[in-house]
This record gives sequence, C-alpha cells and structure tokens, in this order.
Amino acid sequence: MKIYDLVVVGGGPGGYIAAEHAAKHGLSVALVENQFLGGTCLNTGCIPSKTLLRHSEFLDLLEKAKQWGIEAGNVTLSFEKMMQRKNSVVENLRKGVEFLLKSTNVNIYNGLATVHSDYRVTIDSKNTQSEVYGEKIIIATGSKPFIPPVKGVEQIKAHTSDTIFDLNYIPKSIVIVGGGIIAVEFACIFSSLNVDVTIIEMGERLIATEDEDASKLMTKELKKKGITIHISAKVVEASEIDSEKALTVELANSEKMTVSAEEVLFASGRKPNLTGINKLGLTMNEPFIAVNKQMETSFPNVYAVGDVIGGWQLAHVASSEGIVAAANTAGIHKEIDYKVVPRCIYTYPEIASVGLSEKEAKERGYSYRCETLQLRANGKTLAMDESSGFIKLIADDRYDEILGAVMVGPHVTEMISEVSTAIFLEGTVDELASLIHPHPTVSEGIWEVARTWLEKKKSFIHH
Amino acid sequence: MAEQVLMPKLGATMEKGTILDWMKNEGDRVEKGEPILEIMTDKINLEVEATTSGILLKRLFDVDTEVAVLEPIAYIGEEGEEFGDLRNKRTEDLKEEIVPVVAGTVPSTGTEIETDFNVINKPRKTPAANKLAKDNGINLRQIKGTGPNNRIHAKDVELFINSKQRVSPLASKLANDQNIDLANIKGTGANGKIVTKDIVKNSPILQNQTIQYAGMRKVIGERMVQSVTTVPHVTLTSEVEMTAAIELRTKLLDKISKVTGYRLSYTEIFIKAVAQALKAHKMVNASLNGNTIELHSEVNIGLAVAVPNGLVVPVIRNADTLGLSALTEENKRIVKLARENKLSPENFAGGTFTISNLGMYAVDAFTPIINQPQSAILGIGRIREKVVSNNGSFAARQFVTLSLSFDHRVIDGAPAAEFLTELKNLLENPYELMV
Repeated sequence: MKIYDLVVVGGGPGGYIAAEHAAKHGLSVALVENQFLGGTCLNTGCIPSKTLLRHSEFLDLLEKAKQWGIEAGNVTLSFEKMMQRKNSVVENLRKGVEFLLKSTNVNIYNGLATVHSDYRVTIDSKNTQSEVYGEKIIIATGSKPFIPPVKGVEQIKAHTSDTIFDLNYIPKSIVIVGGGIIAVEFACIFSSLNVDVTIIEMGERLIATEDEDASKLMTKELKKKGITIHISAKVVEASEIDSEKALTVELANSEKMTVSAEEVLFASGRKPNLTGINKLGLTMNEPFIAVNKQMETSFPNVYAVGDVIGGWQLAHVASSEGIVAAANTAGIHKEIDYKVVPRCIYTYPEIASVGLSEKEAKERGYSYRCETLQLRANGKTLAMDESSGFIKLIADDRYDEILGAVMVGPHVTEMISEVSTAIFLEGTVDELASLIHPHPTVSEGIWEVARTWLEKKKSFIHH
Repeated sequence: MAEQVLMPKLGATMEKGTILDWMKNEGDRVEKGEPILEIMTDKINLEVEATTSGILLKRLFDVDTEVAVLEPIAYIGEEGEEFGDLRNKRTEDLKEEIVPVVAGTVPSTGTEIETDFNVINKPRKTPAANKLAKDNGINLRQIKGTGPNNRIHAKDVELFINSKQRVSPLASKLANDQNIDLANIKGTGANGKIVTKDIVKNSPILQNQTIQYAGMRKVIGERMVQSVTTVPHVTLTSEVEMTAAIELRTKLLDKISKVTGYRLSYTEIFIKAVAQALKAHKMVNASLNGNTIELHSEVNIGLAVAVPNGLVVPVIRNADTLGLSALTEENKRIVKLARENKLSPENFAGGTFTISNLGMYAVDAFTPIINQPQSAILGIGRIREKVVSNNGSFAARQFVTLSLSFDHRVIDGAPAAEFLTELKNLLENPYELMV
C-alpha cells in the first residue's frame, strides 16, 4: 500500500487544483478520479456548454445581421460537427489537466474511491482493487444532477446535464425543468438551433439567485427568442404520449396542463455526491458536508471542498477552496474568504455579478445606494447592436465602499473582473470613477455609473 | 517689489510681539510657507512663515526686540531688489486681514484640560503643510512633525507623501474616519499593504473590544480622579415642576426660531435660570485656589458635550447677560463646534460652573463630578410626567430632577440648598427670569 501525505478524492476543479497546490507545497499527493479529470465543469458543465453557446451566439448574430444588410443565404447545421468540436475542446482541456498533474508529480488513480476511518482509501476500478493511505485527505467528490421524485419520471428517459451533451440529433422540441443558470443557458443553446423550448420553473422568477432586474431582463430576452416560460409551475407527473415525452404541470392557480416535447431536460438543482465517504460519519450541513473556514471537516485531517460542501457550487469557488485546503494540509494556515465571488451566466445577453446583491446589502444593514446605467446609453453597445442590458453598482455611502455589482449585456462576464479587482484591492467608488477607461467600450459604463453614484452623493450632501 | 513680513496680530488684545529667534540669515533663500523666525506674545510662541518665495533681503530687528503688531519685521524679494522705501509704510489696510501664522504653544492656564484636548485634536502645522496635506487628501494626524514642538512643516508632508505606507483606498478612508494613525499599523495585505482588516484590528470601536486608555480618555479619567479624590462632593437633588417652563418654551419657540433659525431647547432655559441664580449666589460661582476662594464676577457656564470616545466642556461666556435668543444661538454654535471637533482654546476658557444635561436619556437624577477648579455642577435629568394631588383631586404634571454637586470645602449645605431652591423657583416661575 502506497503512503501519501495527501490523497485527494475527486478530479474536478476543486480536487485537481488542490492536488496541484499541495504537490507544489512539497507534499506527496495521490488523486483518485472515477470518471474523467476535470470533473463536471470540464466534462459535463462549464466547458461543453460554453462551446455550444458559442455556436448559438454565432447563429443569433447571423440572424441579427440580416437587419444590418448582411445575408448569408441558407444556413445549414451539422450537429455532428458541432458536437465533435465540443468533444475536442473537452479532450484538449482534459489532457491539459492530466499534464498539469503529472508535471507536479501527482499520482493519478482511476476508480471509485472509498475513504476509511483509518485513512486508507480503497480504489475500485473495473477489474482491480487497489489501496492507498493518506496522512490527510481532501474530499472533492462534487455533485450530481438532482431529479425530483416525480411520478413516472423513470419511464421517460429524461436528460440531465450529465447526458444531454451526448445528444446525437437536434430535437424538434425540449422541455427544460428548472429556471436556474443551467436551465437558461440550455434554453439559449437549443433555441438558437431552432428547437421549440419550454421552461418550467417552480419559483416565482428565473435565475432566483441573481438580481431581480437581471432576472426580469433575462425573462424578457428569452421570450423574445420564442421560448415559452411557465413560472410558479410544478411538474407532478411524467409520461409518454405519442412517442413524445409529456409532463403534467400544476400551475399556481392549481390548474393542471400538459407540456410535451421530444426531449426533457431536468436542470432542477444538484445534490452532493457522497459516494464512498459514509464510513467517516462526517458532520453534515444538510445535505452537504460541514466544513470550517480552513475547509476542515469534523473528521481530523479530512478536508472537503467544492460542490460537496454546498455554498456557491461554482468551479472557481471550488478551486479557491482547494487552494485553501491544500495550504492547510501543508501546514500553512489559510482561510477561505467568499467576499469576492464573481457569478457568470453565459446567455445572450450575458449576466455577471460580484459581491453583495442589493438584497444582501440591505440585510447586512449597510447604508447603501444603487446606481444603474442602462446600456442603451453606451456608444459601444449601440455600435454592436447589443444594447439590451445594464450595469448596476451597489456601494455603501459611508466610505464609498463597493459592495457589489450586477451587469447584463455583452462581454459582462469578462468585465465583472474589473469590479472584482476593485473590491479585492479595497478600491472605492472614487477609484472606479477616476480610473481612465477606454472609449468606446462597454466597460466605460462602469466608470459612468461610478461617477453618477458619486455625483448623487455630493448633491445629497449639499441639500 | 520686495514683500514685507509683518509682526502678526493674533487676537484683539495683542499689541506687540518679541522676536525670539531668526531661523534664516539675510541672503538665504526661503520658500513660501517656510518658517523664518519665531516670536513670542504674552500667551504664545509661534513661527512666522515666509509669505512668498525669494531671498530674505533684510531682517529689521534683532533677537529679543519687541515689535508692534503689523509692523514690518523682514523683507523677502529677488536678489538686489529695493525695499527701503517700504519701511515706514504702515499697512493699515492689512490690519483686519488674517496674517498667516502657525499654531503656537499655549502656555498652561487654569483651563489646562481644555488645552490638552486641543493638542490632542489638532496637530500643530504650518499653513503650507496644511495646504499640501489638504491637496493630497492626507490626514495630518498621520504625520510626525519635525519642527519645534512637533510642528508639522511642508517638508514633513512631502516626506510622508513620498514614503507613504501602502494602504488600500478603503482602509485609508476608514482610518481617517476613525482617527487612526497609520504609522502604527502593520499591513497584512500583499507586500505589507494596509488593508481594512488591519484598521479594524486597531480600532476598538470597530472591533468592540478594548479601548486604549490614552489621549482624551486618559485626560478625562485623570481629571475625574483628581476631582473625586480632592473635593468633598455633596449632591443635593430637587424635583422641579416644569409646567410653566414648558409653556414658556412653547410660546417662544416660533419667535426664537424666526430670529435665530434655531429651536429653543430646554437646555437654554436651564442655562438662563442657572446664570440668573448664580448671579445671586456668588459662593456657588467660585473657585478654590490655594488659600483663597475666588468669587467670580463673570458667569461663564460650561456645558458637558458628548463627543466620540469622550466629553468636552465648551463654555458660554457671560451667560447671565444673554437673552434666550442669544443663548440659543451660542449654545447651538458651540455644541456644533464640539461635535465637529473644531473648538479652540478660547471656547474652553474661563468656565465658572458646569451643566450636564442627560435629559435625552431615561435618567432622572445622578451625582455629577465637579469640573475643577469650579465648585459646583448641575446635573439635569429627563422631564417626565407625574400624578400629583391638586386641590383634592389628581392632576398630571411635568417634572424634572436637578442634581447639584458642590465642593463642601467652598460651599456649605445651606447656601447650596438656597441656590438650588432659587433655581427651582426660577424654573417654576420663569417670568422671574425677566427680572
């Protein structure tokens, strides 16, 4: 049995980054992965969806270009080629992760890990069983799509994000259950491929974790694309009618209706993957593993990071947690700080946010003010014909502290890092307002909104 | 044309100043704002700064010479420039102008506590240093002055700017707001940059943990211990019906508001009544100095004002001569100055009696500590409603409790009680305030 300083269970963005950092701290590290390196993010999440969204973006642009006087004639689609491109992007990056781990001398084990209370980790692959020992263990087992227990759901072969990327044809129609980030991104992907898309969301609005104005604008934009949206709607039964998949949906007024489509995608949340760790008897933060700021679980020398501990459930947060856990396993005290977590949705228009939302600022008792700039007042977005969107700045009046920002529009997933940087370096609205921004850009909207925020503060003081 | 440097006039009573020291020789190059000589008045030592940049052409007086105010004492100009013809031209029109001078050393007087506050609150600085700091958004508290008495010169500010600690903009704002000296803070950000949490760590208020017993806090503490341990305190309390005083205030509210723009508060009515009662009870308006008890001819009433992390006692001078409008204006003015940390030594000087009003809190009576060297202090509680018997039936009336602490070395029980009784009478029959 090989003995390691650290065994990392799970090769996603939490696990592989933790393994890499621990190895760089001088630890001997083993990483166990049951499927593919890169985890959900790389294989069935961020990366493949962004690849497909790129196709959608281009198709949307082609459509839009007709109004500009650019016609490309009949556009033909090869779904096969599109999926091949997606696969090659994924494979490319997977190799990158493997190379990274090998170059930092992390030993990679393939198989399903079971963690024992004596720090043994047994690894089951198809025909063989092996065993390693870790002085310390980081659990980074991630999460799995959650399918609500709806009557008849096993019979209809519904997709989740785990299987949808293996689709080999473009369906005529699709019903997406859920209205979160994954749901709206897939709605955009399929809508651009001329698929008839219906979203069924249980809550009162789409992307409930995001700013309400962003949610409203997103709903409007999706409807503009011809997507049907049912909110406050609950799926109660699933069945197959005339070779179509049919969902019985209960609406807010208790009326029932049936929505049918060629395919059904459940994007209704994710649950922690707790396979192989039940022997440790860990304290839970239902349904997730409970950890402290050093990412320590209740079991000595066992750490946990990423989706399995809940929280943001974002790849970059998992990586940050991995870095913190790795440092602590190497004896370097480090604590996680969630103050600056950017959140991105890669729809069309994109949505990005960082820091506190307006609601959180209020709950935490800040004397905050919000200032919003509509992008139709921005030269670059008008030139691009992408002027749907806004930039909202949330800042505290006392020290002009930037609390958060929400942006909807083109390139905002890249632009959000400017505000992240300002918050991280403890810049205030003054700095955002006095920094020279290039003109014309979408990002100069940040400058403008910061200036307006300050001007209103000044006029408030004078009166 | 060469420019004159004048003997500054620092106050209405200053007539002349003595040259203590020349810091520059004739022919030296001086920069605007640079101190060129030190002078002394009967109250203060201070540096006189160059009003322009150039060559110090002429020093008109030697050290230890007394010179009348606004008299030229030096010339600054370009090499070889004429200046003699200016010598006797008294600049009458300059008399009212504020001559640039630097803050000086106030010698200790009977109002020692107040000068201490002043030193704590306002770093000594030259006008040039002040401007440079202002232009660069620097809090002078963060700078250690290298001039006499730690006065901050422009070069200190420059040095500070050049060697400025790396501090995040947010941390800088926080430090400014909390009056925290960045020089004592170790940054924990990238390459030692000071970040918000470093400020929080050093701010007991932000952190809600410990508070340094230093600065204003310590001055207050020492003064309190000194008063309590040397003065035999006796506190008398008396319940005063406020019905008539409330009526008076209601009637005058609009009138005084029209005249002054301020709302008449009960504090001003109390000040008025106290001032009048003190006039008739000189023993309560007195100070013990060694073997003599000084009965003050002026009635100067100090008001305890709460400020962040402490308390200050600005003084309303000759309060007995002021009507309610004037008192309202004066009270609002000094309280505002106190809250903005802008009180100057004269605002603290000469108090003969102190009032501490806790009427805005749920406090009825307390035992105030005498503000030495005064002999008495009045504590005012909240105005509250009570049921009283009224010709065989019940009636609801407004009452306040007054707490008078006095120094039993100076005042005996009977005269103190007489004063308090008179005060009660005045407040219950406020028309007597007109007498």
